[in-house]
Amino acid sequence: MTKSQYVRANYQVNATPQFHVLSEHQCENIYYGALEALERTGAEVHSRTALEIFRQGGCRVDGNRVRFPTRLVERAVSSTPSRVVISDRHGHRSMFLEGSNVYYGPGPTNTYTLDPFTGERRRPKKSDTVRAGIVCDALPNIAYAMDNGTPMDVTPTLADVHAFQALLENTVKPIIHWGFGIEQYQDIVEMAAAVAGGLAELQRNPFIVLYSESSPPLRHSEEAIDKAIFAAKTDIPVIYTPCTFAGGVAPATMAGSLVISVADFLVGLVAGQLVREGASFIMGGLISTMDMSSSILSYGATELSLLSAGLTDVARHMKIPMFSTGGCSDSKVIDVQTGIEAAFSILIAGLSGASIVHDCNYMEYGATGSLELMVMDDEIIGMVKRILEGIEVDDEHLAVDVIDAVGPGGHFLGEMHTMAHFRDFWAPTLINRLRYDGWKAEGSKTMGQRIREKTQNIINTHKPEKLPDEVLRQIQTVVDRAEAREAAKKISK
Amino acid sequence: MSKYFEDLAQSVIAGQQERVKELTRQALDAGTDPVEIINQGLISGMNVVGARFKVGQMFVPEVLMSARAMNGGMELVKPLLVGQELPSAGKVVLGTVKGDLHDIGKNLVGMMLESAGFTVVNLGVDAGPEKFLQAIKEHKPGVIGLSALLTTTMLSMKDTIEVLKEEGLRTEVKVIVGGAPISQDFAEEIGADGFAPDAASATDLCKKLLA
Repeated sequence: MTKSQYVRANYQVNATPQFHVLSEHQCENIYYGALEALERTGAEVHSRTALEIFRQGGCRVDGNRVRFPTRLVERAVSSTPSRVVISDRHGHRSMFLEGSNVYYGPGPTNTYTLDPFTGERRRPKKSDTVRAGIVCDALPNIAYAMDNGTPMDVTPTLADVHAFQALLENTVKPIIHWGFGIEQYQDIVEMAAAVAGGLAELQRNPFIVLYSESSPPLRHSEEAIDKAIFAAKTDIPVIYTPCTFAGGVAPATMAGSLVISVADFLVGLVAGQLVREGASFIMGGLISTMDMSSSILSYGATELSLLSAGLTDVARHMKIPMFSTGGCSDSKVIDVQTGIEAAFSILIAGLSGASIVHDCNYMEYGATGSLELMVMDDEIIGMVKRILEGIEVDDEHLAVDVIDAVGPGGHFLGEMHTMAHFRDFWAPTLINRLRYDGWKAEGSKTMGQRIREKTQNIINTHKPEKLPDEVLRQIQTVVDRAEAREAAKKISK
Repeated sequence: MSKYFEDLAQSVIAGQQERVKELTRQALDAGTDPVEIINQGLISGMNVVGARFKVGQMFVPEVLMSARAMNGGMELVKPLLVGQELPSAGKVVLGTVKGDLHDIGKNLVGMMLESAGFTVVNLGVDAGPEKFLQAIKEHKPGVIGLSALLTTTMLSMKDTIEVLKEEGLRTEVKVIVGGAPISQDFAEEIGADGFAPDAASATDLCKKLLA
């Protein structure tokens, strides 16, 4: 027996929970605030290339100061694709950065790493980036790879190139990667093209996203903006991220910080769109508060979640994919604080529908990268994804027939309906729900111990798919050439 | 005469710049020794602020308000110090190293140092070894502080120290380093005299180095 659905009008469905921090009008207001800041105050740009592009594009350039007419910014926003599709290493389209789709993963360039075997906090090595690639590759809820720390046992100015090589060879997942400058970006694109089978293939199905950070408020270094321009020229998607922290490099108010963040992103976007109309840009991203006691940029602040979700609303208003933040912590070790901060931020970022949620490995206000945290976050992301699936409501799920069949006082454990649906419950892999004795029999392990064991186990046993020998050789050739170039620079100095 | 001092110190702690100026003017009109106004009133208030900040009872914005209030008083007293040395805990030259434009941390260090009674010369961002060299010759500081946020630019700190050695100035000045990627190990490795992980401990470090 089926309840007829033909008697309804204006029936709406929430396929997912509904969550917005800002209304459409508030988003518009923040966007207008950014446009006003750009037109009135403008930004300081430290790149001759960018200044020339801005001048020719119709911006008002006065020394290093660039003021942006609103019509120019609006044109750049409207020429930016509302969706970007990122492929995996095989060229299979896997991340659809559109609408409210959410993909989680780690962050880059930590200056320390938390060794998952010794527990030691130490400088990252290239072998740690290899580990990062392996762990990203293995975890089902991690959608892409990022480096989890700048390797410091390689030529310092090529840490980016070496990190990329390590990731490229150890995961088939998409890679989001940074670089010190244009030369390194060229190396990275060349390595990726070798894997894709040529630059044209890479452009058609990009499996890398380039990443650049500006220095708010309203200041753009030569490397930062030139990298955005390079990405646009090369037709590879780029994330342009102002690292905005309220009370420090932005007003202490949430709305004011959002204005700075949007305005600084738009500076990079305008440069990119002037170089190539329709270049793929993703709006970063890192926005939180400055802790007024320790002066850190807090990665565990509740405002990080609130601001990131607000910025995501504005990004959606602008119809530009969003690079958000979550799964991170100010804690120094994997402890209760880490769990609280990571879970909150992953949930809010998920509810906000940000395209990419990065930093699911950041400890100690970003200074330390931790694979154990990424493993824990993988579990939390699983929980959040289940929440995002919402509650299905139709005849099958209403189950009125089953309720009638079981009747008052019965149980549902033996029903086919139960068999058909109980797997919809989210099943933990690390969260422990054993009864007390079962837990004791398994060694009375804490969550922290279980996380560490799982992390070690992945590193010891997971075997990522290998690249063909010929491609590995081509990649090595690019690295060797970069080394020779840096060595020559040293000599000429 | 000393009746002004307690009020002055309290107004500095409360960050009330107008009140500090008014009290400073009254004290001066009453013939109070300018040096005493600085030491017993303004600096003494700031010392309390520093101590409270350290134990988490005051926060960065409050400390900066106090520093601003103190400076309001200082501006009135300074012109009267003809022939007398301005009381100073020491002189510090600060700069973000070559190739690096990140400066909020360094500026915070500067404000903290000033509020602790140091005279600060701020070289801004992208300051290469020659810029520090020139500043040392010109200002004769007790300490120079180098700041960097990037793992690439932090290497320029060593260059600056090397240049100081070449110029025979290394023993004339203490060198301290700081910034996100910097560690005590790194500081020792490049031959710096000290490292501080945050602005408040940078102040303690300078006091220690100049003691």
